[in-house]
Amino acid sequence: MHSGIESPGGIWWKPVHKSEKIWIGLAFAWCMVLFAMMPLWHWKGGQNPSGIRHRVEPDAFLARTNEFIATYQVGEDNGYPVVEPPPGADIYLAARMWNWSPVLRLKKGAQYTLHLSSLDVNHGFSLYPLNVNIQVVPGYDYGLRVTPSEAGDFRVVCNEFCGIGHHNMVGRVIVVDDAAPVVGRAVDGNGRGGER
Amino acid sequence: MKTGFRTCPVTSLRVHAQADALIKANAVAATVALLIGGVAAVLVLLTRWQVVHLLGAEMFYRMLTIHGMNMLIFFILFFEMAVLYFAGPVLLNCRVPAPRVGWVAFLLMVVGTLMVEWTMWTGRADVLFTSYVPLRAHPLFYLGVIIFAVGALVAVSLFFATLLVARNERTYRGSMPLVTFGGLTAAIIAVITLSHGAAIYIPTFLWSIGVMNVDAQVYRMVWWGLGHSSQQINVAAMVSVWYLLGTLTVGAVVLNEKVSRTAFVLYILFISMASAHHLLVDPGMGSAWKVWNTSYFMYMAVLASMLHGFTVPGGIELGMRVRGYTKGMFEWLRKAPWGDPGFSSLIFSIVVFGFVGGITGVTFGTEQINIIAHNTLRIPGHFHATVVSGTAMAFMGVTYYVIPLIFRKKIAFWPLAKIQPYLFAGGMLIFSISMTFAGTFGVPRRHWDITFSGAPFQVEFSPAVDLVMGVMAMGGLIAAVGGAIYILVTVWSVFFGEPMDLGEVVYVEIGPAPGADEPAPAAVG
Amino acid sequence: MWKSGLPPGLTNPPRPLSAEEREAEHLAGSSGRLGQVPGTLILVFVFFAAFVTYYFVNWKLLSFLWKIG
Repeated sequence: MHSGIESPGGIWWKPVHKSEKIWIGLAFAWCMVLFAMMPLWHWKGGQNPSGIRHRVEPDAFLARTNEFIATYQVGEDNGYPVVEPPPGADIYLAARMWNWSPVLRLKKGAQYTLHLSSLDVNHGFSLYPLNVNIQVVPGYDYGLRVTPSEAGDFRVVCNEFCGIGHHNMVGRVIVVDDAAPVVGRAVDGNGRGGER
Repeated sequence: MKTGFRTCPVTSLRVHAQADALIKANAVAATVALLIGGVAAVLVLLTRWQVVHLLGAEMFYRMLTIHGMNMLIFFILFFEMAVLYFAGPVLLNCRVPAPRVGWVAFLLMVVGTLMVEWTMWTGRADVLFTSYVPLRAHPLFYLGVIIFAVGALVAVSLFFATLLVARNERTYRGSMPLVTFGGLTAAIIAVITLSHGAAIYIPTFLWSIGVMNVDAQVYRMVWWGLGHSSQQINVAAMVSVWYLLGTLTVGAVVLNEKVSRTAFVLYILFISMASAHHLLVDPGMGSAWKVWNTSYFMYMAVLASMLHGFTVPGGIELGMRVRGYTKGMFEWLRKAPWGDPGFSSLIFSIVVFGFVGGITGVTFGTEQINIIAHNTLRIPGHFHATVVSGTAMAFMGVTYYVIPLIFRKKIAFWPLAKIQPYLFAGGMLIFSISMTFAGTFGVPRRHWDITFSGAPFQVEFSPAVDLVMGVMAMGGLIAAVGGAIYILVTVWSVFFGEPMDLGEVVYVEIGPAPGADEPAPAAVG
Repeated sequence: MWKSGLPPGLTNPPRPLSAEEREAEHLAGSSGRLGQVPGTLILVFVFFAAFVTYYFVNWKLLSFLWKIG
């Protein structure tokens, strides 16, 4: 027996003691479980950051976002356009220093393709309070197929440092139940609407 | 320049005068960086604690940058250079070949540090530690990092040269000791790390002076090749220090060289790719790339850590059992020298690194679980448990032996020194766990104001968040006291401390080293 | 509080091992069912249990999210 600061004498490639072998075996098996869970979740689970991904010039993404807003705008909230796309639509959320635009009104249970990109620097899409967190990178369009599972009034917090206005960067996503009327419900300046 | 060797009265190792000098210089530089980073830490903490909210927004992001660069680059890498000079020349009884090269390396690292500090403190680099393009800093920020990295690479090359010289001049017999092998692992990973650093900082420097473009996603990918691999240097160095501290404090033995060395090799083979776990929710890479690079590769590195997680405590236990502590399952732990700050630092480092740091990190390093963790406070909660309560804690613990053995001074304020690891580890444990809780509630990292007072829409966190952030602040302040004691004790001991009663220390030119014909150096335990 | 001191590893170092102890590679304590280092084995099993628990709790937390793909 020798310490870690002594040269091991002779051949140190020696057999491993049984109790150590048990731990090595267990640790290795666990590492295989860790690996397997990821493909498994792709196969059986509901949350994967796969998405439809493309390169995109910030100008082009801005144009698409503006077109999206023009097509589906239903109102205004605190100066931001409120947009209500139909289920199955491609929806666009642009991040820029220092806001998220537009405000989205979505239907519970409907699937959308949410395209995220930045017009300038890195931003972080963090859907509160669910805690969905995605990196938003300029030059890349991250099209995530999302299906809201509950109604609510959500916030989009920016969680990637993007300059001095970073902490003021908050967006909004409203999800309504099928029962609620769809078109034309305006919201007041504090972001409080009539529906829940 | 002093050359020649002294013989350490405690370990009987022959220590080259330049090894002493280079360890001292790098350790002092590390401590200065730790002090700057620590002051910044307290200021950042008192701002994120909304009750105090000390700094304004601009200063907060600036201090956060200063905190990150000083802790994760300057403190840790300077200290690791000192560790390499110990693991190489000292443990192998060898001279430092071409000491002037070591001093050039040190100078380059100091110059690089000063350049980066200047840009940060004058507000020319409010880009945070990761400096994600297209956030732009002053060109001297990037150039300073490059110069620092070149210096570190030169020092690492000198370590490799030392290993060759030691073998050639037969200054030790048989294979190199395990601690030296761990240092070699860290050095190899350092080359991989610093190569990634060059690959990203050189183009980014050129971008900052308008000469070329850098794609934002490519930057993130290459940068994290530097960013994550640098953490693996820290892990390898930490584990080497674990084996060293175990030996010095309780006479720990090596359970099985084959297992420990294989685990170190796994770190080298499988760590660079695992940098992918920082990019799991990025748009530029597909799921196949993410699953492959995060799992098959990372999980072998996880296996390596789980191996050391057994061999290090096991070596301590066996070292104690052989010396008679055989009663029950845990007498070896109960009767261990808990009043030795080297020992308590060792244990806390292992426990907090493993249980809090390791478990949280591997869990959200999964492609899908990352969705609920990315850029929340769970991330800094994790890495304060690994690199602070793990690596920094181990480095602090070994300092209590470096000061008597290399600086040849007694430890000042000894009663304070004994409790320092308890304060630091306890505080950091509370801090990390609180951050993890807050992050689970969605609290963002790198954020000046979670009341969102300037935002267009209200965000109301659960009231539990305020409580948890308050507890986080308490833990952080306790840890800061522990850090302050460490700096006080080490600085005082080195510059004003009582010399050890060793008589006059003389460096003599010695002939051929203890080679094949003489017994291996007697070591502690 | 102002006294200086030295760590016990230097003032009262661990007893050096005798020649027989240094030779006895795998014999110490290997008779027990849990092997040479039973305390460590128990500690790593506790660690493993914590790991498995935390890991699967997180998958459960993830499953409460919207469908994302």
